Amino acid sequence: MTDEIRFEHISMEFPGVLANDDISLSIKNGEVFALVGENGAGKSTLMNILYGINTPTAGTLYVRGEKVTTFSPKAAIDRGIGMVHQHFMLVPSFTVAQNIVLGREPKSAGVLFDNRKAEKLTRELVEEYGLEVDPSAEVRDISVGLQQRVEILKTLYRGADILILDEPTAVLTPQETDELFEVIRRIVREKQMTVIIITHKLNEVMAISDRVGVMRQGKLIGVEETKNVNEKILASMMVGRPVLFDHLEKTGEAGDVAIRVEDLYVADNRGLPAVRGVSLNVRKGEVLGIAAIEGNGQSELLEAITGLRKINRGKVSVCGVDVTNKTPGEIRAMGLSHVPEDRLSTGVDKVASVADNLLVGRQKEARFNLMGFHQRRSTVERYAEELYQKFDIRGAGIHTEVGSMSGGNMQKVVVAREFTFDTPVLVISQPTRGVDIGAMEFFHTRIIEKRNEGAAILLSSADLDEVFRLSDRIITLYEGRITGEFRADAITKEEIGFYMTGSREGGEA
Amino acid sequence: MKKRGINVGYLVALLISLAVALLIGAAILAVSGHNPLVAYRALLGGAFSNARHIGDMLEYAMVLCLCGLACDIGSRVGIFNVGGEGQLLLGAIIAAQIGVWLSGTSAWIAIPLAALGAMAVGGFYAWIPGVLKVKLKVNEVITTIMLNTVAVFLCQFLAKGPWKNANKNIVAGTGNLPSEFWFSKLVPGSNLSTAIIISAVITFLVWYILQKTTKGYEMRLVGDNPRFALFAGIKTDRIVIITMVISGMMCGLVGMFRVYGAEHIYKSTVSNEYYFEGLMVAMIAQYQPLPTVIISLIFAILKIGAMGMETAAGVPKQLYLIIQTVVIFCMAAETGIRVAIGKAREKRQAALDVKARSEGGAAHE
Repeated sequence: MTDEIRFEHISMEFPGVLANDDISLSIKNGEVFALVGENGAGKSTLMNILYGINTPTAGTLYVRGEKVTTFSPKAAIDRGIGMVHQHFMLVPSFTVAQNIVLGREPKSAGVLFDNRKAEKLTRELVEEYGLEVDPSAEVRDISVGLQQRVEILKTLYRGADILILDEPTAVLTPQETDELFEVIRRIVREKQMTVIIITHKLNEVMAISDRVGVMRQGKLIGVEETKNVNEKILASMMVGRPVLFDHLEKTGEAGDVAIRVEDLYVADNRGLPAVRGVSLNVRKGEVLGIAAIEGNGQSELLEAITGLRKINRGKVSVCGVDVTNKTPGEIRAMGLSHVPEDRLSTGVDKVASVADNLLVGRQKEARFNLMGFHQRRSTVERYAEELYQKFDIRGAGIHTEVGSMSGGNMQKVVVAREFTFDTPVLVISQPTRGVDIGAMEFFHTRIIEKRNEGAAILLSSADLDEVFRLSDRIITLYEGRITGEFRADAITKEEIGFYMTGSREGGEA
Repeated sequence: MKKRGINVGYLVALLISLAVALLIGAAILAVSGHNPLVAYRALLGGAFSNARHIGDMLEYAMVLCLCGLACDIGSRVGIFNVGGEGQLLLGAIIAAQIGVWLSGTSAWIAIPLAALGAMAVGGFYAWIPGVLKVKLKVNEVITTIMLNTVAVFLCQFLAKGPWKNANKNIVAGTGNLPSEFWFSKLVPGSNLSTAIIISAVITFLVWYILQKTTKGYEMRLVGDNPRFALFAGIKTDRIVIITMVISGMMCGLVGMFRVYGAEHIYKSTVSNEYYFEGLMVAMIAQYQPLPTVIISLIFAILKIGAMGMETAAGVPKQLYLIIQTVVIFCMAAETGIRVAIGKAREKRQAALDVKARSEGGAAHE
């Protein structure tokens, strides 16, 4: 094997941030190289340099021994580098073939788009690489997994032999992930391609990669042969301290039903049905997890329960009280707290201070008010300081503007506020999205603490590992309907994938 | 960092833009054949030379300040009340007509009733766009602007029709306000009346509520992120509507002050788009109460001074508009300028850091 790519002392600096700090790394021809690290560690920046989006501020990049002087995606594509971004860049109303040839279309008579030739070229690619997909299907009609395949084919059509995949499994089901890995192995084995995967899922690193590079705070911490490391070692390297993914001790028995949802119908923002006849119960002292691929009604379901979205039909009760179509404030008064899916738009006031954000919901309490209207700043600040310490929020103190904090710390502000209400019911959505491993551990411990104290918790997460780790029971949602309900210890991730994609229904365990 | 109250950077930017505006004004004066120094001296003289000028200047500042504050509180909950002019005019005509109706009764009855009437009508006129915004998501800027026109013509109709002054020389105006109801003048011969004392109290209250109370805190949350405020259990719709109504009540009261303190009759000159100037003041003040007070004073000095400049130095008073416009331009650029300065500073610091590191690294090798 020869060096396909060589970074020599590469640094990349944005105003005020050193995103890549003196990185030297060789990636060999024909290997699968995994690049892992927490959010903001500099993985994407480094790959954007390789793909020509960023021009490094210092250092040299060699591709196949040749020094790179011009940095642009076009030059990178000419060098045989292809990148599949986390968010696909496809035209939904075009066919697979049209998307693949976009930018280098076959022409007939010199000017007209030759659709037949485009489909023929696509079919040839499909056969050559064994990436099965129908060239004449419209992209909006095919699954996310197939769309990703179209993205890969697009890079292959342009002659890529180095493929960069940015968080490729974030939107995939376990089955689709397996298929993707199969494809990666085949193109590496048969076509001698080089594949670089950016990820933070360590089990996938173990499953697919030959070597792994760990980044932290802009630096390359180490490069290892995958067979010489395990998930625990990698996690510690990423965080910079030992990470104990201890078994979370779940204690106590499930009690009374605290959230009851009966035959619920809810529409999405476009007015189309998003939740279609969902019924569920959450008992005190248990975590009910929702496993679903994004866009299958889980967001709308939680918003409807918490009063942020109109309920068209059906009934929701919290602690025995009917709260159907009540305001969020009224539902909260029944004993519900909510960690929302999108913390920036719903969970915080970005331009307000940490203290002001921690106070929200308690501003009318007597201790914060003098004569019932004058806000007692000193008491507010003392209270905020207390939560700041207790929830280990890290930043420049309680006067910091929340919008300037990292995702993990912002989430700590939300969780600190919501968990301190000590309500019997918690609705939690995406508790650790965009949060690093260290903080993830912290949130998981807190959630299980609440569960053990007897709270009824409804959890939704795009991270299937998280759903399995925290839940007592799991329901799967597909296109707004429940397709299965399982005890978390009675089903595997692979099996549940079938219910998440709707290929099986009516599962129970 | 979003500003909460006055900070040094803002004051510096304000002073710089004023200076730039005065310089540009000076250049225009010089080009048009006036001596800028003479003209500016006449301007200051126009505002300060005698008690009457000072009185007029303070009355004008009072009007700008109350209008600006009415706009400030709306912006605090994320609603932009452009309809203050209409609310002001309606408040003025109602207050004037109540005075006419109640002539012969005690001022202790007439004045409070006129104030209540003005506030009720101004508040109601702001309630309409407030409800439309909250319930039907109708953009309040459009509704308030259009309601202004409606108010202007409604007042004209009333002043020329049912409520017309008996005096044939007054084409459009209500009857004269009985002199027992006039606010006492603080400076004889000027427009400055006891209304400024009430205005000072209102100004303090607005500042206090916005900055120091739990309600003000909730208003800020609603303005910053309405979805979050709703999520957190705050009755956002109610807060927005109430705030809009209070904003309208303030404008209505300004109309009453103009009639009872200065004009003593309703006619179209009770407001010459004063609310829009107050709105500009609020924008320049970045919707903060204390800067609103300061900028109201500056604008009042410029405006009243410009009239003096016209008589004393023969400079057209429209120069005031030019200076005002340039100040607005400079203040609008202020944020951009400050961001640019901050970025340049960061970049320099980062460059120094990298240099220090690479030198440090070289030393180790």
